[in-house]
Order: sequence, then structure tokens, then C-alpha cells
Amino acid sequence: MQRRKFITSALGLGAAAIAAAQEPDPVSLVSPEIRRVGTKLACRCGVCNNTVADCAMLECSYCLPARRKIAEMQKAGQSDEFIVASFVKESGVSALSQPPTEGFSLLSWVMPFVAIAIGLIAILFWIKRYQRQPAGALPEIDPAMLNRYRDRIEKDMAKNE
Amino acid sequence: MENLGALSLVLAFCLTIYSILGSLVGKWKKNPFLTLSAERAVYCVWFLVAGAVGILVYSLIGGDFRMAYVAEHSNRAMPPYYKFASWWGGQAGSLLLWTFLLASYSAVVVFQNRRKFRDMMPYVVSILMTVEGFFLLLITFIVSPFLVLMQGKGIIDVGDGQGLNPLLQYWTMLIHPPVLYLGYVGFTVPFAFAIASLITKQPGDDWIYTTRRWAIVTWFFQSAGIILGAGWAYAVLGWGGYWGWDPVENASLLPWLTSTAFLHSVMMQEKKGMMKIWNMVLVAATFFLCIFGTTLTRTGLVASVHAFAQSQIGGYFFGFLGIGIAGTTYLILDRLEYLKTEARLESVVSRESSFLFNNLILLASCFAILWGTLFPVISEKLTGEKISVDGPFFNKVNIPIGLFLLFLTGVGPLVAWRRSSAESLKKAFIAPTAGAAILIAVLVAFGIRHPYALMSFGLCLFVAISVLTEFYKGAQAISIKDGKNLLAAAVELTHRNTRRYGGYVVHLAIVMMFIGFTGSAFNKDATQQVAPGDTVHIAGYDLKLLKLVDSDNENYVGRKAIIEVSTNGKVLQTMEPEHRFYKASKQPTSEVAIRRRLTEDLYINFAGMSDGDAKGVIQAYVFPLVSCIWIGFWILFAGTVICLVPSKVRLQYARTEVIGIAKKPHAASQIHN
Repeated sequence: MQRRKFITSALGLGAAAIAAAQEPDPVSLVSPEIRRVGTKLACRCGVCNNTVADCAMLECSYCLPARRKIAEMQKAGQSDEFIVASFVKESGVSALSQPPTEGFSLLSWVMPFVAIAIGLIAILFWIKRYQRQPAGALPEIDPAMLNRYRDRIEKDMAKNE
Repeated sequence: MENLGALSLVLAFCLTIYSILGSLVGKWKKNPFLTLSAERAVYCVWFLVAGAVGILVYSLIGGDFRMAYVAEHSNRAMPPYYKFASWWGGQAGSLLLWTFLLASYSAVVVFQNRRKFRDMMPYVVSILMTVEGFFLLLITFIVSPFLVLMQGKGIIDVGDGQGLNPLLQYWTMLIHPPVLYLGYVGFTVPFAFAIASLITKQPGDDWIYTTRRWAIVTWFFQSAGIILGAGWAYAVLGWGGYWGWDPVENASLLPWLTSTAFLHSVMMQEKKGMMKIWNMVLVAATFFLCIFGTTLTRTGLVASVHAFAQSQIGGYFFGFLGIGIAGTTYLILDRLEYLKTEARLESVVSRESSFLFNNLILLASCFAILWGTLFPVISEKLTGEKISVDGPFFNKVNIPIGLFLLFLTGVGPLVAWRRSSAESLKKAFIAPTAGAAILIAVLVAFGIRHPYALMSFGLCLFVAISVLTEFYKGAQAISIKDGKNLLAAAVELTHRNTRRYGGYVVHLAIVMMFIGFTGSAFNKDATQQVAPGDTVHIAGYDLKLLKLVDSDNENYVGRKAIIEVSTNGKVLQTMEPEHRFYKASKQPTSEVAIRRRLTEDLYINFAGMSDGDAKGVIQAYVFPLVSCIWIGFWILFAGTVICLVPSKVRLQYARTEVIGIAKKPHAASQIHN
């Protein structure tokens, strides 16, 4: 019995039961409604890079209170946008799971595609530059040289057979 | 013992300096004996570093708890193989691993080229030893693994240690860090040859031919390291995430993307003498991104769960990167004359162009990941505002880029070198495009509406048909000519040009992995509190908790949930996820149970107890097609091995060059055809 008690306390499992007596239990907080809002919020526990919706640690130091707050606000009839805005008001835009598409943060979204566009233009410019090379710049081939190339091709082809 | 280890490192550091100076002075004074002596010093560096490694590992396994590193990363209760893995469990030990691998690579390079590239080798040796010296400087003077614990003026033995992080006590962690480091460190060799060829103003592509295999092997190690890390995260972290877009994970992907771009664009240089500057840039970028990756892990620049404890080494890394990048940029700009392209691009619709676009997309993906990783730091510095850039951002930006890359993977084999006519393109594209369109229509008919998933599955089939058609056409030609069956003909075809067909096999591996990634769009999960006798229902499975079993040993205490898995009343198996608490580190972990199948994995995590210890919390997941990722890895391995087998026919990469215009137009067209 004593061994079981030690294992229970060592595994930290008693804490959940105590918490469950006072607050909604963590398992009930992974409902689709709470997840819908949670996808817009980052888990800031420092252990994972998930959202409040995806974080699988039921007792996560950040997500558990966040989920409780979402549940309470939903119970009070608040809209998803209002709930997310309240998190931003409290912790700044770092509460969001992705940068907002306005102000300086817009750069985070735009820059990768600007880089692709610049690269594309550079490639097309490069191709055009080489295509514009006048064919007349190439020398006329001596027939003897041409024949040597033909012989070489035939020999190479013969080796492949 | 610790003094001997520290002394070995000091001597090794001195020898790297001797080797650098000896190589350069020997070359400058044309003194071959000095050059040779500097090369031999590389072997001595290896012996000394190997000696230091031996002493550290001996201390870890023997439990010398006077040593700070041993006390912090090992303990008596750990099995010997995890004690061995503690070698790279901490900052100093992992730097020692890096140093040891680079010393080993350097010794191999010196031995392999002892009679070759006499002009370049002094510079190759000096570059390798400069990098080696930098890491030796760190582990000798800044973060030594041979520090002892002191109290007052006396050395103390703490009796037992804190142990390795429990999350790292998993079999893939025995090989993931060394394999990833083999990839990271290995790219120093192509970099050293590239820089040596710039210094010596080599007109040809010797460095390319010399380092081709190095590049392929180190690329494979990078790939294997990344996949092993993904496999570890999948099996250990408890929620089945194999990729979390963590800054350190991202850092491992960056050099992989640039080295993949290099492996493609290098063919342009080999075949047509084009993209020489670009290849130099890619090799240098890959090397510096490898260093940048390890910088991110060790300096606390960005917050990451993978990061080592912060130390004073950040400044050294940034200094090394700054000097290295500046020097390399100067060399490339100064040697532009020697890097001129030898051929011209004839058409936008050509294999050459597809390589260019492939490089663009790989680099764009690299930039997007780097940008997203560093954006929180940039934003905070410039605006003072903290921003989270997590999975949703990376997925939104990288999924379209990844799908376009997949499309290009299929397009490449369909387009001819130099130029493709509209007619030949139509002929080549018709089967893959029709196949992809039919598959998408079938999937839509079966109710799948996820747009990215539909595109991804369609493109996967597009690429698979395009690659398999290449095998089929070539094998059929051989089969008709030599009377072999198609399979034997395909083997013969592959043997004739191993790099090309090995590369195609790698493309098939990427297709398999994309199928696996796409499966995540259909993941299902359920979290439930269950008492013994209760059942969790998920995706057609019934998971009945039979009982809870406690265990206790020297290393940890644990509790297993014994779960009977059935479907439609038929019992499939019993699964036993476990929740553990490690005594030394006082950390809980979950040991998940996974039922792996080709179509889907059933993944069960026992998250703990609730309801006054009466009920267990079970998190169950179904991950469709995830096995394709791991199968893809083995195909990638096979493809890489094929690439490394020497080709039976050696003339397939004879360089194409336009030498002039024939007097009679029909004669010229005969040559072109």
C-alpha cells in the first residue's frame, strides 16, 4: 500500500485529482469548441511549439489555465474574436499562434514570397541574357573537326551497346 | 584521468595550429617535408582527440562523479548504453563529439588524398584544421568536459549524478545526434575543397569530382539524422508529432535544403560547365548553415526545447561565422574570372531550367524557414514587440512551397536537356497528368475535400508515374536489345547510370514521405478518463482498459495501462502505454504504445491518473499513412547507396558544349540529335 502511495505521488498524479475537485478537469477542456479558439493561440510553455488546441500535455502550465479561461469566457457567451483579443490584450501579440497580417508582422508573411519573386525574376533575366547571345559569335566549325566529333560519338555509342 | 583528457585536448589544439601554419608555410616556401609534416599532424590530432573521448566515455561508464560533466549527465542507475550516450547529452560533450568527428573526417581526407591534389591539399588541410581548431579552442578553454567538482580547494565526489534527461533515454537518441553530426560536420570537407580550389585558382572542376561522394554521403547523414529525430519525437513526446517547427529542428533542415539544391545544381556544372559561382555559394551556405545550426542550439539566440544550457560561447560562434562568411565572400568575388560559365542556356523549357527552378524553390523554402525562425528576434530588436512564430505559420508558408517542389520533382525527368519541343512535352506529360487527375477525382468521389491533401496525393502520383516511366522506357529498350526480362533490364539500366537512377529512387522516397506527411490531414484523437473495464472509442477501434500495473526499479517508478484493442468485437492485441517518473532527474515521461500498420498507426499515451487516482487518462490517436515516412527513409537509404555504386558506363556525363556552327545546317542537326 505504501509503495502504491509512493508511486502515485511520485508520478504526480494526485495533483490532478486535487485540481479536478476545484476546477473543470483537464480532460473536459479538450472539447472541439475550446480547440476552435485554441488554434489561434500559441502555447507559450516553452516546451512545445504547439497551439493551445494541439498541446497534448493536459497539465501544461500555460495551456491548462488558457483553456480554463476560454471555457469560462465561452460560458459567458463571448465570441471567439473577443476571447482571442482578450489574450492579446493580456500578453501582447505573442499570444497568437501566428504573426498578425498587419504592421511590421506583415513582413513575416510577405518576405518568403518576395524572395521567390526576386529569384524568379533573376532566373528569367539570366535565361534571357544567355538566349540573347548572338549566334554569330560562334565560330564556324572546320569539317575535319566535325568528322572527329562524329567518330567519337560512334565510338562512344559502340561502347554503350 | 581528467588531467590527461584536458592535456590531450590542449596538445591537439596546439597541433591544429602547427598543421595550419605548416601547410601554409610549406606551400609558400615550397617545402614538401613541412607540408607532409603538417598532414601527419592531422593524424596526431585524431589520436589525441580520440584519447580525450576515450577518457570521457570511460569516466561516464565507470561513474567518476568527481567530474562535473559526469555528475550532470549520468547516474549509476542508467544502463551502460545510455551512459555512453551521455557523451553527447550536454554542451561540452556534444562539442567534443563534433571535434572528434571532424578529426576523423580530416584524417580520412588526408589519407585518401595523400598522393592526389598536391597543389590543393595544403589549403584543404589548413581549412579543416581551422574549423577543428575553433572547436578545440571551445572545449579546451571555454566549456571543457574535464572540469572537476570543487568544494573549497578540494575535489569532491558527489556519489551519484543527475542522469541523462529521461526524454533522451530512447534508442534513437543513441544514434540520432551522432548521425546528424556526421552530416553537419561532413560538409566541412566539400567546403574545404571548394575554398582550396578558389585559393589555388583551379580552372577545372576537380573539387566537384573529388567531393561528389562526400556530398552525397553527408547529405544522407543529414537526412538520416533529421528522420531519426522525427522518429524519436514521434515515439517519445507523447502526441505523435514528428515535426514541431522548433527553431533547432528548423536549423537542422536549413543546410539539408541547401545541400539538396547543391546535389542538383552540381550536375549542371559537371554536364555543362554552368552554375560554378552558384555551386560555390551553395557549398559555402551549407557549411555556414551547419555552423549556424549548432550556434542556435548553444547560444540561446532563440528559445528552444532542444537548446543546451546557455554559456559564454555565443560570441565565439558569431565571430567564427562572421570571419568565415566575410572571407568566403571575398574569395568568391575575387575569383569570379575562374568561375565563368562554359555554356549557354538554350531554352526556358529544358532540364537546365528545371534545375534552376528546383534550386529557387529549395532556397525559397530555406529562406522562409530561416526568416520564420529569426523573425521573433528581428521583431523584438526592431519594434520591441514579442511575436510567436509557430507551426501554423510554417505550415501555411511551406506547404505551398513544398507542393511546388514536389511538382518540379516530377517535371524534371520529363524535360530534355537543352530544349524540349511542345510535342515531346505533351507526350511526356500526358500519362502523369492523367494519372494525377484520375486519382484526385476518385478521392473527391470518396468524400475527401481537403485541398492540400488532394493536391499532394495527385502530385505524388504525378511524380511516381514520371519517375517509373523513366525506368520503364530505359528498361524496355534494354530488354528488347538484350532479351532480358524487365526487372533484370531495370537493374542493368540502374547499374549503367547509378547516380541518375539512384537519384530517381530518392525522388520516390520523397514521394513516400509526402504521402506520410499528407496523412496528417486526417489525424484523429480522443482523450478520455477511464476506469478499469471502461472503453475508449476512436476511428473504429475499441480500447478497453483492463488494469493498471505498477513497477519500480533503480532508475524510475512507473505505471502501465494494460489496454485491449479490438475492432468490431475482434480482439487485435493488448497495448501497454506507461507513465514513468525518473528518480534521479525527478522528471515524468510517457512511454507510448504504438500499433504500426501501413495504412495507419494507433497511438496510445497514458497521460496519468485523475478522479482521486480512480481513473486513468488515455490519449488515443490514429495517424493515417504515417508509416510511409519511415518507409520513405529506407527507400532514400537504398537510393543513396545506389548513387554511391560506381556506374557501369562511365561516359554518360561527357560534357555537352556548343563549339561552333557547322557549315551545312543538316550536319549540325545530326550532331544535336
